[in-house]
This record gives sequence, structure tokens and C-alpha cells, in this order.
Amino acid sequence: MTGTPIIEARALTRVYRLGDTPVTALAGVDLAVAPGALVVLKGVSGSGKSTLLSLLAGLDRPSAGSLVVAGRDLGAAGEAELTLFRRQVVGMVFQNFNLLPTLDVLDNVCLPALLAARPRGPARRRAEELLAWMGLAHRQRHFPAQLSGGEMQRTAIARALINDPQIILADEPTGNLDSRNGRAVVALLADLNRRWGRTVIIATHSTIADRVATREICLADGAIRDGSCAS
Amino acid sequence: MRQLTAFLRLFYLFSLRHLLRHRGRALTVLAGIALGAAVFTSVRLSVDASLASFANTVDRLAGKADRVVLADGGGVPETLVAELLRHPALRAAAPVMSTYVRPSTDPERSFRMVGIDPILDRPLRAWEAEDRDRAARAAWVSLMARPATLLAGASLARDLGWRVGQKVDLEHARGPVAFEVAGRVTSDGLGGVEAGRLVIVDLATFQEFTGRLGEVDRIDLLAAEDLGEDEWDLLAARLPPGVALALPGGAKAAGTAMVRAYQINLSVLSFASLFVGMFLVYSLVALNAASRRQELSVLRAMGAGRGWLFALFIGEGAVFGILGWTVAIPVSTVLVKYLLAAVSQTVSTLFVRVAVERLVLSPAELGLSFVLTVAVSVLAAWQPAREAMGVAPREVMTQLPLSPRYPARARRLAAAGIGCLLAVLPLARVPGPPGLPLPGYLATLLLFVGFALLAPWSLRHLGARAAVLGGRRRAPFFLAARYVRDSGTRTAVSVGALITAVALFCALVIMVHSFRRTVEVWVSQTIAGDLFVAPRMAEINNFRDPMAPADVEAVRNLDLGVTIVPHRRYNLHHAAVPYTLEAMPLAAFFRHGDFVWIGGSAETVRPALARGEGVVVSEVFAHRTGLGPGQRFTAQVGDRRLDWPILAVIRDYRTQGGVVFVDLDALTARIPGTGWTGVRFFADGNLPRIEALRQALITACGERLDMVSGAELRASILQVFDETFAITTVLLLIALAVAALGITTTLTVLVLERARQLNTLLALGGAYGQIRRMILTEAAFLVTAGEAAGLACGFFLSYLLIYVINRQSFGWTFVYRVDWGALALSAPLIVAVALLAALPALGHVLRQPPAALLRDR
Repeated sequence: MTGTPIIEARALTRVYRLGDTPVTALAGVDLAVAPGALVVLKGVSGSGKSTLLSLLAGLDRPSAGSLVVAGRDLGAAGEAELTLFRRQVVGMVFQNFNLLPTLDVLDNVCLPALLAARPRGPARRRAEELLAWMGLAHRQRHFPAQLSGGEMQRTAIARALINDPQIILADEPTGNLDSRNGRAVVALLADLNRRWGRTVIIATHSTIADRVATREICLADGAIRDGSCAS
Repeated sequence: MRQLTAFLRLFYLFSLRHLLRHRGRALTVLAGIALGAAVFTSVRLSVDASLASFANTVDRLAGKADRVVLADGGGVPETLVAELLRHPALRAAAPVMSTYVRPSTDPERSFRMVGIDPILDRPLRAWEAEDRDRAARAAWVSLMARPATLLAGASLARDLGWRVGQKVDLEHARGPVAFEVAGRVTSDGLGGVEAGRLVIVDLATFQEFTGRLGEVDRIDLLAAEDLGEDEWDLLAARLPPGVALALPGGAKAAGTAMVRAYQINLSVLSFASLFVGMFLVYSLVALNAASRRQELSVLRAMGAGRGWLFALFIGEGAVFGILGWTVAIPVSTVLVKYLLAAVSQTVSTLFVRVAVERLVLSPAELGLSFVLTVAVSVLAAWQPAREAMGVAPREVMTQLPLSPRYPARARRLAAAGIGCLLAVLPLARVPGPPGLPLPGYLATLLLFVGFALLAPWSLRHLGARAAVLGGRRRAPFFLAARYVRDSGTRTAVSVGALITAVALFCALVIMVHSFRRTVEVWVSQTIAGDLFVAPRMAEINNFRDPMAPADVEAVRNLDLGVTIVPHRRYNLHHAAVPYTLEAMPLAAFFRHGDFVWIGGSAETVRPALARGEGVVVSEVFAHRTGLGPGQRFTAQVGDRRLDWPILAVIRDYRTQGGVVFVDLDALTARIPGTGWTGVRFFADGNLPRIEALRQALITACGERLDMVSGAELRASILQVFDETFAITTVLLLIALAVAALGITTTLTVLVLERARQLNTLLALGGAYGQIRRMILTEAAFLVTAGEAAGLACGFFLSYLLIYVINRQSFGWTFVYRVDWGALALSAPLIVAVALLAALPALGHVLRQPPAALLRDR
């Protein structure tokens, strides 16, 4: 690894409570990710992938340990700082797409820019560029219910890019897609990693992203396991 | 059977457990529906109690009579009793007289005095002395043997502390007389009239006390055997002019019809709370149906039929209805105690005198409230249940986003809404059954439905316009506008609830204001005068007893420089419609007062009226009899036939029926020697002169007259008006409270339903504050739209209330006046309250941790 890591976690721990029972989702994870890496986060269901991803995205706070992402200490950040962090630093892609059904494709893509109160004109032009790059220029005025799964996920990726984030976090991005669309989405993520130098972290339990990954991290029982998940 | 058992088990596991798990929401909805049902039930029970009291009194007074002999506008000659007793077809003929009197010691506690012939009356009415010893049982002999003796009803004797043998002073038109309490009667039979608050006296005593010698109110007849209509007709033909044979229930039917009209109006108003509660049920059942779509698809995939899914959600509605009603009944028994006094007081003041002693939980009323509550709840669950039916088994394999609603549906609903609105006026013009404003209420329902159906389309356009008009610059505003645009029927239903409540509020504000302003004009013009004088107890006895000739003479001889306007009133019937014929010197009256004219030229009618060339009729009389200007008014008073052209229609708001005004000289020309039933004096508001007048009258007439100043009389009329509408106001506030609960539930539901969307916004960089502002903006959209549409609907509704429902119910209309001040003050207040009701929903925003987005698979 060269230079300062864009993600640096030390003894990162997250404990949930299920009734009176504490459940340790992450147990003292140490992690450093270099800028421009494409990391595949692997592990079986319940291994802690989603918990780690939600901490990296600023959606959740660690119970213990430290987490610094793009120079921001997320463990110490207040609510307003976390909001700014989500607007400026990360872009999220979900398995279920999570497009707003009441907005058309263009408005869905512009949504993070709208939330960040960015000027409308440039945001719109950027969204149109992204949609054209995604092959969705002709779908701008369609609503999510009128799109295929692959189109919805490409819209979601365009949305993740609208604020030009340093890091793309994708949670099972191919989970709801057929293999052809799944491969296309992985190719897109790889493309924006290679061409635009974005750090991409993909949480998945499939092997579809293995061939584009610069690094593979395997999680088991809330901890990073040495070596490949396959072993 | 096995299917039913299986369904019930599924209902328990799937629906009831879910409701229990989210008991906070369920309890809110239950509270709303229970409150609505409780208000409806207690209002009905209160009016029922008054109706039962009235019917009980009329039935007990009527006894076993097959027919009654009556004389409209006067007394039946007493000599007729002997003639009827000789008729071979009759087993009994018993004269009856009745009036209200009061004890000198306690003038506020007036009660009924019934005069009978104790011997002739026995076959018709039963009554028992309270003590069973021989002396007590012979008390009726005392009535006949000794003048000024009475038998007291059990409740009255108890209330006033009367003992047998005690002397009590009673007052009536002729002044006070000392009576001896000869005994007390039980509450059985005649003794139960007005819940035992009466006295029974011998007919001769009654006549001496009231000065009505030689006449009786009516003669009750009992046939020797079953008589056919022909035989009764033959008997009727032998009666002297002005005397008629009637069925004993005539007065009961007229009185009951008036109270029923009042009950229907209150019932409809109280039903508003239940109607608004319906929206609460809809919101929760709709949430359950939408948020459990995945579970429903699992059920379908595992073999549940579409019917089962439909039944599950209809069942939820039914559970709310049944539980809501169950909670409502004990609440009603508390609520009714407060309502009973107010309602019986209003009924007594406005329609018929009632003395409610106890409340009966009528199975019919309980059944009606149960059926209505459950029906309303099931109806509310109908649409969500139909949506649930549409869940396909294949959905279990997909995780598609919710589809936005498409405009076609909103357009279809809007078209249906416009259809409903277009049907309102034609329907309102359909004449309904007498006293039952069925077309008016149906038109009102169509109006509400029309506005509610327009809501999705209107919201869609409002949201679209708002998003375009600068909304894009501010994320919360833009997103809220877009959500409102596409949220379809879900938000439209809550807006419908608000429209209903606001419309009712607005319409009632306008109606009550219009009514009051018109009544103010009426009392200032038609009830003009500085001092009103009438025989004692005249008002409660409908001015039936004329002033003593000596008192009339004394008034004529007063020389205090005041204008004297005497009146003579007759209580008559046109077919079965009761009305008052009032005669007064109209030339003198018009110098100081006036009628409130409806159309026509008052300038030309006034002189003709003063010359006795015709009559004016109130719009109540005109509406109920179908008679109007250009037609002739005819009446029979005793043996005299009256016949005048109707010159104009005027407004009049006495509640005992319509009124016909004629000049006193014109009446005296046809009924010579007619007396006065009261006098009003005009003294140009000169207080010292009014006081001198009062003293002169006391000196001349002693204690025989009741006097009230014009200002006091007019103030008391307006006070009665305000008290009458106090119940209306309470019912309205309850409807608004239920609507506020509806807003709380609906917005909470909208927030909970979109937990995933809200978390997505957060993940995309939305701040908590932005999301809360978005929800609040949505609430503001819904509340503003609901309020605006509610106000528009309210203006239409006020028109229906004033010109259709009041006319169909009571026969009158008012001058339309909008209370802009009250509306301007209350409109922002309602918006503020509705937005406050939205605050609990904000508490639910992002209660689920945003990280759930990643775990929710």
C-alpha cells in the first residue's frame, strides 16, 4: 500500500442489542484501504459485511474503535458532519436499488445534488451525462416501475456518482439482477474505478466481482479472516 | 366449518397479533371510532329519552280512548258530554282539561294540572292513591266533594315536600288559589304523566281555577263495541260546528314529528364524528395492507385465496368496529348524563314539554349504533382489502419498488366526483317526506363524496404545480410536492377526512351566524316592544287563556302616553299542521315594529294588512301547507269561518309551527267579543315611563299578569338560541378532534410506510432536519389543501343547510350571512391544530436505524 489510506479502521467494533442479548456484529476489525482500490468484501450471511458497509457509509456509528474515512473521524463526528460526509464523500448503491418511486429517472439521479442544495442546472447536466454513459439517456423521464432491474441499478449507480464522491459503496449490487445485468453493473463499477480513480467497495457473497477486484477482504463472524474466502 | 376455523386461526395469527404488536396505532384508531360511536349513541339515547317521556305522557293522558272530541282554537262545550253519554254506541265519554300551573312559593317549578270527572273518567284512565288505606283510596271523593282539592303526583309531592292535608297556593291566569292536598297518586296510569309531576283535580275545580266555565279541552270517547269508520263518521256529523272527532294520537304524532326532526339533525351531526372516524380505520388498514405486501404474497404463494386476503382486512375493519362499539357503550352511558339535561331542556323549550326521569338503553338504538359502527369500519377497510386481494403469488419472488399511481385513476375518480357534485343541486330540490330531509342529507353526502373523490386529482395537480414553482431549489419542498403529487388515494383519504370536518365547521359557522343574525332582525322587528304583558302562565300554555275582561279594561284605561298593541292568539290546525293565528292592530304595530318580509313589496302589503284585507303567513306555514300569496287562508274557530287572501310570506322562528297574522279589528269583525291573550306596550324605550307602566299594571291587575320587558324577552329568545346551538358546537368540536386524530394517524402511517425511502434519503446525504421538514411540508400541503377544499365544500354545504335541510326539517330558511371574522380567525387556527396533529408523525421519522437499509433483504 502506498500513501495515506482513504479508509482506516482500528479495532472497529459494533455491538447491537437484540432484546437483552448483546450481539457482536463486528469484533475489532483493523482495516486500511488505499485510494483508488476496488475492494470486494466477502463473507456469508451474518458475517458482518453490511454492518461494516453501514459504518463506512456513515449510516451507523461504531460501538468501539476508530474509523477514519477520507480524513474524517466518523466515530467522533456529529450528526451534521455525518450528513455532510454522506453528501460529499460516499455514494451508495443498494441491492434493492432504493429508487424513489415518485421521481423519474432524472430526478432520482439528481436527488443527492438536490439534498446537497447544489445548483440545479449543472446537476442536471451532470445527471444527463451520467445517464448517457449508463445507456439510459432514453429513459430519463421514466419512473422506476417502468425500468428493468438492470436499468434500475444503473440509475442507482448514476445517482451514487452525481455528487462526485471519492468512495462508492455497493451493497450486493448484483443481488437482484440476472447474470448478464450483474456483469454489466460490475463492469461499470470497475470502469469508474479504473477510469475515474474512484475507490469502490463492493459487499457481496458472490464471485461475480472477483475478477475486477484489486483486493479481497473476507469477513467471518465479525472479523477479517486471513487469506481468501474461498479457502 | 374447517375452512372457517382455519381462517379464524389465520386471522388471529396474521391480523390480530399484528395489531397487538402495534397497539399504539391500533388504540388511536380505536379511540377515534369509539368516540364517534359514543357521541352518536348518546345523542340518540338522549333524544329518545325525551321522545319516550313525551309519548308516555300523551299515552297516559289519552288512556283507552278510541276517539276524542276537539274544538280547534277553543273549548268544547261541556254540555256535549251529556249528549255523548246518551249515545248508545259509546260506553264512556269523559271530559278532560289540562294546563300548566305553578306553586306561588316556587314559580320556576311549573307542572301540569289535569282536570277530570273522577266518575266518568274511570273507564278511560286508571290511577291509584299512593296509600292503600281506605281513607286514602277515597281521596277521589274529596276531589268532587270539596272545592280546591287536588291529588298530587308522587314525584311532585316528593320534590315539593307536600303532605296530605297541606294547603298549597297555585297560580294560573286568574291569580293564586289555595288548594288542599287530598292525597297522592302512584306513578301508574294517569299518575305517571310527566313522570309523576302533575296534580289531578276535579273538572269543576279546574274550571273555577282557570275561569273556563262551561267548556272543556276535549272529550275522550270509548266505544261500547268495535265501531266502523262509517259509524264514527255518523257520530262526527252530529257534532256542532267547530267541533271535530279525531284519533287520540293526533297531538302525539305532531309532537313526535317535531322532536324526530330535531333528533335526525342531531343524529346526522353526531354521525359526522363516526364518519370522520372511518378515515382513521382506513388509514391503519391501508398501512397494514401496503406494508405487509410481501407477507401477503407469501400467504398467496402458500395457497391462501384472494378471498381470504380480502376477508383478513375486512376482518380488521370489523374488529375496530366491534371493539370501538364495545368501548363506546360505557363511554355513552357517561356522556349521555351530560347530554340528557341539555337535550331535554332544548326539546322542552322548543317543541314539547318533557320530563325525563330515567334513561332506557333501548335495544333498537344499541343495535342501530352497533350496525352503523361496524358498517362504517368495514366500509373503511373495503378499499385496502381490495388492494390486498390484488397481491399476486409471484410477488414473493420479487422486490420491486412500489409503483407510482397513474393519473388515469385520479382522473376517473375526479370525473366521478364532478358527477356527484353535479347531482347535488337537483337532488336537493327533490321534495322529501314531511319533516324528514332525506334528499337534503343525500345531497350532503354526495357533496362530501364529490369533494373527496376530487381530492386525488387536485392533490396531483397541486403537487405538480408546487414542484415546478420554485420547489426544485429546496429539497424538502420539492420532495414533499412530488410525494403529494403521486401519493394517490392514500393521502386523499386523509384530506377527505379534513374536508369533511372543515366543511362541517365552515357550514355550521355560516348557518348559525345566518340564523342568529336573522333571528336578531326578527326579534328586533317582530318582537319589538318595551313591555310584554300576558296572563300568568300564558307562555307555557301557548297563550290559550285570554286575559280577564277586568284586566283588559284596566289596560284600556291606562293613560301613560304609550302605544298599546294587544294580541289574540288561537292555536289551530290546517289539516294536521299546527299553527298560530295571531291578530293585532297592525296599523299601530307597523308604527313601531315590522315583519321580516320574504320577497314581495312590503310597502303595498302593509297598508292592505292594516285595513284587514288579508293575512300574511310565515314561511313555515307556507312550506308545510303549500299555501302562499295569491291563495286563500281559511280556518274554523268555534262556529266561525275565517277566510282571507294571503298577501305575503314573512319570516318567523317560533318553533311550535307556523303563524298567520291578521289585523285584530278584522278578526273581531268575524269573531265578535274576542278577548286579548296578551298586550305589548311601546314607550319609545323611555325607562321611567316603562317602570310607571309596570307599577300601574300591578296596581290595576294585581298578581294576575306576567310582565317582561322587551329587552329581557328578546335577550331570552337569543339565549335559548345560543343554548340550543351549544350542543351543536360540542358535537362539531368532537368531529374536529376526531379529524385531528385522523391527521395524526394518517401522517404517522405515511411516515412508517416510507421508512425505507426516508432511510434512502438519509443515505444519499439528506439531513434529519431536511427529512423532518419534508414530512412537515407534506402535512402542510395536505392540511392546506384539506382546509381550502373544506372551506369550499363548507360554503356549498351551508347553502344546503340553510335553504334545503332547515326548510325540509323545520320549514324555515334564513338570510344568508357569512361570518367572515370567525372564518378568518378559525381557518389559520384549524391549520395550526392540524399541523400540531402532524407532530407525532415526525417522531416516527427515522425511528428505524438507517443501517436497516442494508440489512433489509
